[in-house]
Amino acid sequence: MSNPVLENIKTRRVVREMTDEQVSEEHLEIILEAGRWSPTGSNHLPNRFLVVQDAELIELIRRVSPGIYSNAPTYIFVCVDRRNFPTYIDEEADDPVFLMDVGQAAQTMALAAHSLGLASGPVTSFNVPALRKILNLPDRFTPWIVLCLGHAQPNPQFVMKPGKRRYWQDLVYRERFVPWREFEGG
Amino acid sequence: MAEEKKFLTEDQVVELTALFLSCSLLLLREPALYGPLRQLTAAERLAAMVYDDVSPEVRTLLDVALERIPVSHTVTGQRDRYKAIVVELNEALGDCLAARAGLTTGGGA
Repeated sequence: MSNPVLENIKTRRVVREMTDEQVSEEHLEIILEAGRWSPTGSNHLPNRFLVVQDAELIELIRRVSPGIYSNAPTYIFVCVDRRNFPTYIDEEADDPVFLMDVGQAAQTMALAAHSLGLASGPVTSFNVPALRKILNLPDRFTPWIVLCLGHAQPNPQFVMKPGKRRYWQDLVYRERFVPWREFEGG
Repeated sequence: MAEEKKFLTEDQVVELTALFLSCSLLLLREPALYGPLRQLTAAERLAAMVYDDVSPEVRTLLDVALERIPVSHTVTGQRDRYKAIVVELNEALGDCLAARAGLTTGGGA
């Protein structure tokens, strides 16, 4: 079956090595609009997107972001603005609802980027207190994930060694859990 | 000990300090494996910063670090391969320390 949406999902990869070529404004706006269309709990739209393309700012961000190995020229921070929380969500209590919103937005934008021939890689390992200062973020505004965007290096130097492939059948149970179906390694 | 030198610029000091401090915060919630991974990243950045200014003995160590640490990042999910690279790096460290102290290595072979 030829289905471009499914094909896009299956062929997207996390990319760390990118070229210096900047993401065009046209593509950036398409990706951000896709992020806006991602679903949020109760449609409260708590996500806010902070785009950084300034090279000096990116250098500062990288210094306090040990998880960013990518040399991407564009960062999109998916943030949550607490002003948009419904009263039943408590960020301090690690309520998972807004994290699902953030994750869905990041994945939606990653797929949109891939459909445009762009590369992306998500990172959560960054220093929020330091980023608050660098990016002038108010306390109510928390970055949870950054999507690094750019053009993939045609011949990457360092590629993650593939582990044992898991097929969807390895991950799925039907109706009830059955121990003998457990995939090796859990 | 070799002659004391100053290798780092103020900006590099800030960069390394930022990395160490950021890791000290992030490792409170990150997987345990990230600890050694972040330390390797710090070692790699330090090696790149001082590479042109060090002695041949130290450069031999830095060559290994700059070549193998990026590879280590690609096998973090494979403990045996990851460990083999870290052991290799530490053997190079031992060689460097011994060379600087004028000691022979190689098990007397």
